[in-house]
Amino acid sequence: MQNVMDVDESSKTIRCWVELYADSMYSWALYKTSSKETAEDLVQDTFMAALQSYDSYKNISNPKSWLFSILNNKLQGFYRDRYRMPLHTNEGFYDNFFEKSGSWKPSQKPLEWTGDPSHLLDDGEFQNVLNDCLKKLPKIWLTVIQNKIMEGKKGDVICQDLGITDTNYWQILHRAKLQLRKCLESNWFKK
Amino acid sequence: MKGPLNFLMLSCKKASELIDLKSIKKLTAKERILLKMHLSLCDGCTAYAKHSKILDNLIHRHEQNQDDSGVPPLVGNNELKQRIIANL
Repeated sequence: MQNVMDVDESSKTIRCWVELYADSMYSWALYKTSSKETAEDLVQDTFMAALQSYDSYKNISNPKSWLFSILNNKLQGFYRDRYRMPLHTNEGFYDNFFEKSGSWKPSQKPLEWTGDPSHLLDDGEFQNVLNDCLKKLPKIWLTVIQNKIMEGKKGDVICQDLGITDTNYWQILHRAKLQLRKCLESNWFKK
Repeated sequence: MKGPLNFLMLSCKKASELIDLKSIKKLTAKERILLKMHLSLCDGCTAYAKHSKILDNLIHRHEQNQDDSGVPPLVGNNELKQRIIANL
């Protein structure tokens, strides 16, 4: 009888947490994964895990940060599973930019960018171009570049979070920058 | 770039790698010298080095503009809430 009461109480509490925190957890997961489905699954999994370990949690005071720590664990697991595969060492990617000799292809050689880059972001049109170019990057590249540049994380932390090796990490960063640079040049600076 | 000192010259492919690598770790003395030599002769890679820095700044500030607090915008999802509650 006691047990049934406990189960009732825990699911009541969790239900309340769903009302309170599910939206901000979903927003966070969506931001991190850019996939509605994945974000929903991860949030749902988080609440299931919370229900299961509710008893051991009882004495901790901040449910929101506890739920987010479970969610962040699940996000890490998601990255690990999805991106464990080694980065293709295919040279095909670089062939888009470089000749066999290693020189820039004439059409790819970086041009002088005119104008003051510090004012670019005041221009709404440029922001749209930047957004489009960021969206065109493969998901893992975008995540790496976000972690590195936007959140200022150290390389080893990013590698751990994403389950990639050190070498893969900076190669991804390099490829992302090659591609992003080219995209901005073609869609903004050249026009 | 071809010539008798070819073995001392980095390719543009390698130079651009070192330019981006430089932003996350210290290059070796040899790498630094080779890169410097390459940049002194190659305007494409010199532009690339500038752009690489500009990109770092742009993306960093772009993200700050998106949301000063670093918290993504709140997206409500009532269907999800109902489904979770039903499954509990």
